[in-house]
Amino acid sequence: MSTDHDESSGDGRTILLIGSGPIQIGQAAEFDYSGAQACRALQEEGARVVLVNSNPATIMTDPEMADEVYIEPITTDAIAEIIRKENPDGVIAGLGGQTGLNVTAELAEEGILEEFDVEIMGTPLETIYATEDRDLFRQRMEKIGQPVPGSTTITLEEGESATGLSEEDLRERVEAAVEEVGGLPVIARTTYTLGGSGSGVVEEMDELLERVRKGLRLSRNSEVLITESIAGWVEYEYEVMRDADDSCIIICNMENIDPMGIHTGESTVVTPSQIVPDEGHQEMRTAALDVIRELGIQGGCNIQFAWHDDGTPGGEYRVVEVNPRVSRSSALASKATGYPIARVTAKVALGKRLHEIDNEITGETTAAFEPAIDYVVTKVPRWPKDKFDDVDFELTTAMKSTGEAMAIGRSFEESLLKALRSSEYEPDVDWADVSDEELESHYLERPSPDRPYAMFEAFERGYSVEEVVSLTGIFEWYTERYSRIAESVRAAQEGDFTEAAIAGHTNASIATTAGTDVGSVEQEVPGRTYKQVDTCAGEFEAETPYYYSARQNEFESGPLEGQAAAGELEVDPEIESVIVVGGGPIRIGQGVEFDYCSVHAVRALRELGIDAHVVNNNPETVSTDYDTSDGLFFEPITAEEVADVAEATGADGVMVQFGGQTSVNIGEPLADELERRGLDCEIMGTSVEAMDLAEDRDRFNALMDELEIAQPEGGTAFSKEEALELAHDIGYPVLVRPSYVLGGRAMDVVYTDEELETYIEEAVRVSPEKPILVDDFLENAVELDVDAVSDGRNVLIGGIMEHVESAGVHSGDSACMIPPRSLDDDTLARVREVTEDIAEALKTKGLMNVQLAVQDGEVYVLEANPRSSRTVPFVSKATGVPIAKLAAKVMAGETLASLEASEQVPDHTSIKEVVLPFDRLPGSDPRLGPEMKSTGEVMGTASDFGTAYWKAQQAAYNAVSEGTAVVDFDVDGFENHFDIAEFDDVPQAIREGEVDFVVSRDRDSLEMAVEEEIPYLSTEASAEAYVEALDAFGGELEVASVTSRPVHEENWG
Amino acid sequence: MTAAYVALEGGHVLEGRGRASGTARGELVFTTAYTGYEESLTDPSYEEQILTFSYPLIGNYGVRSERFEDDRVHPRAVLAKELTEDVADWLETEGVPAVDHLDTRDVVTDIRDGGAMKCGIAVGEDVTEEDALEQLEQCKAMSDHTDIGAQVSVDEPTVYGADNDGETVALVDCGAKGSIVDSLLARDATIHVLPYDAAVSDVEAADPDILFISNGPGDPANYEQAISLVEEFVEDTPVAGICLGQQIVAEALGGTTAKMDFGHRGVNQPVLDLDSGQVVMTTQNHGYTVDEPGDYLEVTQINVNDDTPEGLDGVDHDIITRQYHPEANPGPEDTLDFFDNVLEMAASPTQRAVPADD
Repeated sequence: MSTDHDESSGDGRTILLIGSGPIQIGQAAEFDYSGAQACRALQEEGARVVLVNSNPATIMTDPEMADEVYIEPITTDAIAEIIRKENPDGVIAGLGGQTGLNVTAELAEEGILEEFDVEIMGTPLETIYATEDRDLFRQRMEKIGQPVPGSTTITLEEGESATGLSEEDLRERVEAAVEEVGGLPVIARTTYTLGGSGSGVVEEMDELLERVRKGLRLSRNSEVLITESIAGWVEYEYEVMRDADDSCIIICNMENIDPMGIHTGESTVVTPSQIVPDEGHQEMRTAALDVIRELGIQGGCNIQFAWHDDGTPGGEYRVVEVNPRVSRSSALASKATGYPIARVTAKVALGKRLHEIDNEITGETTAAFEPAIDYVVTKVPRWPKDKFDDVDFELTTAMKSTGEAMAIGRSFEESLLKALRSSEYEPDVDWADVSDEELESHYLERPSPDRPYAMFEAFERGYSVEEVVSLTGIFEWYTERYSRIAESVRAAQEGDFTEAAIAGHTNASIATTAGTDVGSVEQEVPGRTYKQVDTCAGEFEAETPYYYSARQNEFESGPLEGQAAAGELEVDPEIESVIVVGGGPIRIGQGVEFDYCSVHAVRALRELGIDAHVVNNNPETVSTDYDTSDGLFFEPITAEEVADVAEATGADGVMVQFGGQTSVNIGEPLADELERRGLDCEIMGTSVEAMDLAEDRDRFNALMDELEIAQPEGGTAFSKEEALELAHDIGYPVLVRPSYVLGGRAMDVVYTDEELETYIEEAVRVSPEKPILVDDFLENAVELDVDAVSDGRNVLIGGIMEHVESAGVHSGDSACMIPPRSLDDDTLARVREVTEDIAEALKTKGLMNVQLAVQDGEVYVLEANPRSSRTVPFVSKATGVPIAKLAAKVMAGETLASLEASEQVPDHTSIKEVVLPFDRLPGSDPRLGPEMKSTGEVMGTASDFGTAYWKAQQAAYNAVSEGTAVVDFDVDGFENHFDIAEFDDVPQAIREGEVDFVVSRDRDSLEMAVEEEIPYLSTEASAEAYVEALDAFGGELEVASVTSRPVHEENWG
Repeated sequence: MTAAYVALEGGHVLEGRGRASGTARGELVFTTAYTGYEESLTDPSYEEQILTFSYPLIGNYGVRSERFEDDRVHPRAVLAKELTEDVADWLETEGVPAVDHLDTRDVVTDIRDGGAMKCGIAVGEDVTEEDALEQLEQCKAMSDHTDIGAQVSVDEPTVYGADNDGETVALVDCGAKGSIVDSLLARDATIHVLPYDAAVSDVEAADPDILFISNGPGDPANYEQAISLVEEFVEDTPVAGICLGQQIVAEALGGTTAKMDFGHRGVNQPVLDLDSGQVVMTTQNHGYTVDEPGDYLEVTQINVNDDTPEGLDGVDHDIITRQYHPEANPGPEDTLDFFDNVLEMAASPTQRAVPADD
């Protein structure tokens, strides 16, 4: 290939970077991190970067991240339009996850790249096909003599359809395939899916037949792959990098604690490998290099292996899979080693050689080396188990986790316990009620999110390491260390705290275990000090402030002070510094939005000349990139560990407003801990007390009464009778929920006594200890979200959002629009007044989110939270006002006046739509309701509501404009676009491929729509909006960069 | 618990957990490799040294003699954050003191900042800090171990692969790793392993196609006999060298060597081939380096981190040497083709006796 440009720089070239879209299971924040890093790397090389992503909650879509940022659907239509406008020289496909890769392939297949002379940079398309098509992949591996698991494909012939295939015909093909790979069990996989959707170990023929039929229908190329099951082998991943001169390196390897058969995204993963000898490691390393060379990949790539000890010095391995792109694992590898894979991938794509790229961490070496690490990294996934009672969370080859936490320690035990703590997961199990038999069959043999805790429980019950190894299949080396942790807890109960502390427990948890106070524990155990992540195990002096804490050895005791506590920290106590507490792992209700807020807080502080330190543990995020902050502390988010950072850095303040519930929750204990230690460090912004008041229903009610702000009528019931009485007083429908859970869990709307009784009996079991809240349900009210910043005197409203779905759908699951369209000026003025009054009453300093409902012109407040909310990035992207930054600055002492901040109202309408995970969670109820279930969001913007809504549906992969529809709602207009059909058995009709679109509240129909990946709607409000969108959309996508969309200075309300 | 003390040059003493008893002294160095502890601990180049593992957990996959590079442990003592029972038992049997529960990252950064240093170790039920300091007192500088070759070399010539059809290699054993012999054997060579102080007649008796100087511990200047062998044979016989072998070849041909601050020890050292532009990852274990190659050698490969010579070719002679360990074990297999190149050179020498009448 020849270009007019300098081969190894970006000078004068325009590069199109495609993001990965909304956060979904299998595709989380890691691509925001890699995309943001790539943008910076490309700009450093002089390239002009054009970025497209549909996800407004990302850092990468900030206007300053690229030369032009488009928040548009990731579809070939929209991207072709962007290519027409921006005329890029090249596109880098490997940085936007599977979504970016697929759309690039489609752009090429449709001839768009050729038409506009856009070069695919880095990894060629042919390589992408060779890795995604497993049969092709197998051929390539066989060509270079690399062993792969026995494998064959079941393919539809031309003209055949999955549904049309006869039972006998299918059985014949499946049986032949099974025989070819050596019999059952086998793994069945569909090609071209992300996160291994629909794949799994299958033991029985009937189940396999079912899976194959479904797989054939869903596969992009009508193929299902049947492979030899290598269950029980150790799973490894190797992160590999290659440049155009064929220099190849391994960034690190990763060992899955759970044996082969569990998706690596679902597995507890350790870096570096612990149990493979050098010879085995080097064989796989060499194989990885051979593979990346054969495939011609330029940039980063991930290769998965299965390995077992077959008695030879090096053991035996198979090449399982190759991902020719940056991935969740590469984000993890980057954070685990300090080697910035996305940055180097971007530069390699421009033509740079590895030894020409600086290693920013050391400042004296280059990217041409293999990181050496002198610590142990453990990653633990985070599952949405608490949100989906109906879903079986047994870990399989398909992903169900939404996020992950990573921890670093000097021993495996320390690293594991820090990671488990960081995941903020508590099994919903009372171990005392679990028999040995159940412990074995349900918690040890069956892999689930609870298994690590069950292993500790087993050791507490006296199980031996051998027994636990045989029940779990987890390798002995690891199991033995689980048992040591359990032993250390036993010792702590008997008064010897040292081992428990060294194993990675906090002083606070040891104190709880031993029934003593933190002060006495901390005097007896070794203190923590900070070590640096430097890519080179200490061989070179590093410049980058990336740290983790580790306990000292048993020869020291008592908290470390001064230089000893700081360890390797480079801190200048003269400089004012502030700690921003991040949001931990991504989960439903707490997504990448809070990382966006945390990063903005950091940037705002640095703009003010204040050193900003980050405490966080999510390896997927921008906030944990080593160059985001002045000090990155990869730590669990607990009061004790954040206070340690405050003590070691001498920080002047801590911000807990930006990391969602995770950071807010430590506000109060952290304030106490800082005081106990006598540290001159304050919780900044709105007081902890005010945050608590906002969450305390009684006190908040009283405050609203005082302010004469209306609230839905309601009360607390301690028995069924009280609940019924309350409901009668208020009048049905009423909103009911337990008082002791946050975030909409177990919330419901009931319309009759009968429904209320059922709810009480089946869902919550009201009791004096566990009362329920009964509130007036404002039917057909318009719900609003307001995000505002207050400096203690003035309030700046970032935006007023109107929900598309009515009250009764969790605000986090509702689509919403900016600006609102159904409120009159008086109502808007009242919204402003209410917001200002609450901000003032709570003495808010920083961000505040208010949820309101408007019914018959009356404005009711549902909730107010003086902290960042998940709508903050959406508001900023729609209006151009960076409210998270403004908030951090006012918390640091600026005023809205001194910042010359003003409100802006956009001329276009922006719609936020959610993305739901039901396809990943078989058995879940796909109807929107009071409980939040969405994993991510997209944004569609246009000059009118209909087009904007349509773009949001496209971006959320829920747009269909013709075919056969089933419509169960009393909503007119679908008939103008679809053939409306009625079936006796709707699910069956869907299964048979006769339905293209489902508009219904019927759970069975919706579950089938989810299973068959057919667009659907589950609320009347969305159905009405959809019709409006179909009518409005004239084919003109109105693609425009975020900064080119018109806004005008005007106050909201 | 067994007491353990580590006395560092300058007198600072660390307390740790004793895992294998005894007293020892040596030059304190570190390796950054996280696998390959069996290979490293049996690498003769660690003779008279105390090896610190920067990776905290050592011994995870047991101890198996198939993975050894020599029949005994060479470092004088071993330091780690955590040693498994397997490896601690092995070291105890070998009589090599071992200490863990140390802050090895601190030790490593001390070595980085202060250079490879003298160190004394005492491990046992009743040992004291003074015992460790006493060992430190007696510790010699590495270059003062003038007869270190005798400690690691074969006593008598030994032949491997006598029935092989390939080239004949005279391998001067200054502390050769087993994998060098294995790599040559795998390429059908016949190998005459000769003592580090072999006489000219010993080499002549082998009638080799190539003279190969092995890796080994200590200061290259102390291997006078090996240096003179290179001088003697270079005009007529191709020459190869690995690690110390490269330094000896340079010393023999008018080049110079120097002691490094703390050397290169690990499996991730990047080496740039100046001709192809390609970077490969290499295993290294050396505290001395070629400083000036001299007129008869040219530098073909350099270390990306510090530009030190990693590969030398003869300007007019058939010579190829490597500072790193192409035989791997532990470490990357990126450079195994070195052995193919060496044997090709042995099979078809191109050199003309140019400097003969200098």
